[in-house]
Amino acid sequence: MKSAVLALSLLLSGPVFAQATNWTEVNLALTDAVVIPDYTTFATAAAAMNEQATGFCSNVTPQSLAEIQAAFQTTMDGWQAVQHIQFGPITYFNWNYRLQYWPDDNGTGGRQLSALIAGKDSTVLSSENFARQSVGVQGLQALEMLLFDDKSLEELQADSYRCNLVQAIAANLDEIAAGVAQRWADEFRKTVETADERGFFESSEDATIDYLKALVEPIRSLQQQKIEAIIGESQAEARVRRAESWRSERSIRNLKIDVASLNRFFNAGNPALNTVLPPEDIEGINAGFAKVEATLAELPDSMTVALETESGYATLKQAASDLSALFELLEASLKKTDLYLGFNSLDGD
Amino acid sequence: MKFNRRQMLGLGVLLFGTPALVSAKQGAGQSPLFLSAASDADDKHWVTGFTFTEAGAVAVFKSALPERAHHIAVNQQQGFFVVVARRPGSWLSLGDLATGTIVREIRVPADRHVFGHGIFSADGKHFYTTESDFEDQQGDSGRVVVWEVSGEGSTVDLTRVQEFPSYGVGPHELLLMPDDETLAIANGGIRTHPAHDRDNLNVDSMVPSLAYINRNTGELLEQQFLPQEFHQASIRHMDVNAAGRIIIGMQFEGEPFLEVPLVATHQRGEELKLLLAPPEVQVQMKQYVGSMRFAEDGRHFVASCPVGNMLTFWDAEDGVMVNSIRARDGCGVCATDTGFAFSTGTGRLAHIELASGVITEHEESQLQQLFWDNHLTLVEVGTKS
Repeated sequence: MKSAVLALSLLLSGPVFAQATNWTEVNLALTDAVVIPDYTTFATAAAAMNEQATGFCSNVTPQSLAEIQAAFQTTMDGWQAVQHIQFGPITYFNWNYRLQYWPDDNGTGGRQLSALIAGKDSTVLSSENFARQSVGVQGLQALEMLLFDDKSLEELQADSYRCNLVQAIAANLDEIAAGVAQRWADEFRKTVETADERGFFESSEDATIDYLKALVEPIRSLQQQKIEAIIGESQAEARVRRAESWRSERSIRNLKIDVASLNRFFNAGNPALNTVLPPEDIEGINAGFAKVEATLAELPDSMTVALETESGYATLKQAASDLSALFELLEASLKKTDLYLGFNSLDGD
Repeated sequence: MKFNRRQMLGLGVLLFGTPALVSAKQGAGQSPLFLSAASDADDKHWVTGFTFTEAGAVAVFKSALPERAHHIAVNQQQGFFVVVARRPGSWLSLGDLATGTIVREIRVPADRHVFGHGIFSADGKHFYTTESDFEDQQGDSGRVVVWEVSGEGSTVDLTRVQEFPSYGVGPHELLLMPDDETLAIANGGIRTHPAHDRDNLNVDSMVPSLAYINRNTGELLEQQFLPQEFHQASIRHMDVNAAGRIIIGMQFEGEPFLEVPLVATHQRGEELKLLLAPPEVQVQMKQYVGSMRFAEDGRHFVASCPVGNMLTFWDAEDGVMVNSIRARDGCGVCATDTGFAFSTGTGRLAHIELASGVITEHEESQLQQLFWDNHLTLVEVGTKS
């Protein structure tokens, strides 16, 4: 074997921006400023909803249904703020899928819920057994179906099993949300703090990449899953029932919270996550965030309402385009660093 | 810093009691040559040869490819290698092993595409690719194509001579069994069509299988299927040891929360043995195994999990996972005399010594800006120079 070492330097372009980052400082600042507080807010909302659900079945009235619907809205607000974080305790025990089984293109959750209601097996509703049921019946999507149907009031009044199911889901959500928040505070923060000791993470920089993935990858998902998959090629072809939270008429409210949360995830804390990118890029990226937020602000919270008008449709299309532009800004900025979010892991074979 | 050793406590003890002897794969004082496909930040695609030295990974060659590639097969006898396009690519690039120069690009027929994998017969006279007859959207569209080798080094060529059915859909990696007569084929079960890029068109009706065929006649000798409940586990990557035991890595296309075996072993005439890692590791594998390779001892093996950012180490005899390490986007693996070399999609090249658990990072090399594709190939030294 002859060694023919070529002049490779001509072919290679090195990173333009050399980081002088204390990765652990960034990771912990973000954890303390955003991650743990936001999970705590979510857990608090889920606990309040569970409290609301307790006793709900003794007398279902328009008033009590409205109250638990409001508690659901607050809990969903809390979940949307942390939905983009797909590493750490949320990955334990299938917690992420048990909290929310979505997208559900085949309507699996609805079918499982109907089957459960038809079966009327009350033993599955104990907290121990309920945690082992199909993920499709355990979380926010199933609860939304029970609470936000046109016939919800009549059905919950007539069928005590449905009502008990509301309580079981609310208790389950409370337990999971509390578990995630607690594990972040008690355990995973320590895992992040000691990332350089090579336990779960290879290094503190490796941990930072998980935070960056939680920032960047969801922007593409928001664009594709939460907007483009619904709006299709034309207003006539739009399919609102593919939207997240269409029943509770808050699909666009979700998007507004998602983007605001990502914005905070990028900029909050000291040192903020934005310090790992070249400083000259930050203003442009923040302008990108502002652009998406301004576009979304023109829209109502309900996707159904937005899709009724040509201007609403056009604005949604604009929001998808703004998200795509923001994604590309972040991607271009990352290219100047030696931080790689994935290659085989994103598009393997 | 160019050279960086990190101690991994515990791993070695679990894998090997004593350090392995230096094998034929690495003669004294000679660093073996590794080959891998890679892409760069400008979306250019390369095949690269490199060695590991005290100064880090040293590039021996770097040759441009038309598109993203996947696996590289080496023919020592005729002194060349074949880079196989990633699915649904339609080309094979033939390179001179002495210089790394690409000497020929071969296109498959317009109604076929390759899957990124190919394998030589033991005598180096034949090459086999897995392909798709993709206009057949109903039947078993998988093909195993026989190529004849002519010339050598810079004059080498491949002639397409015959096609056999793969007895499934979406064949991926294929292996030559130790008898030199039998090919083992991973039928991934996923139906695709180039018009829909890489989309899975039959996610609800997938039937992955492991098929053994005679490489001369194409006769189906044995076929193994997964239990129905795991029919969405696409059988993709494999390796075989000298005793003919196959290890299988799978990629699950079904619901993301299901606990599904991703690793299996098989010995001809027996049932598939489906293996699970301990629950906390199994969930972190993210339903995706990217590459499978036996260690030199033919008993232990690695299953890389680029989505789960892990390498998992298993014992094929006992059927258990014995250890795992975190490796961000780690996928390419191949056995060395003392452990495994591995590559990552983030541009890392490293080596883990199994007896000690020491991980050697080959940092600051000229190759750092490359994203290594899924598979790593080691060229055994000493046969032809």
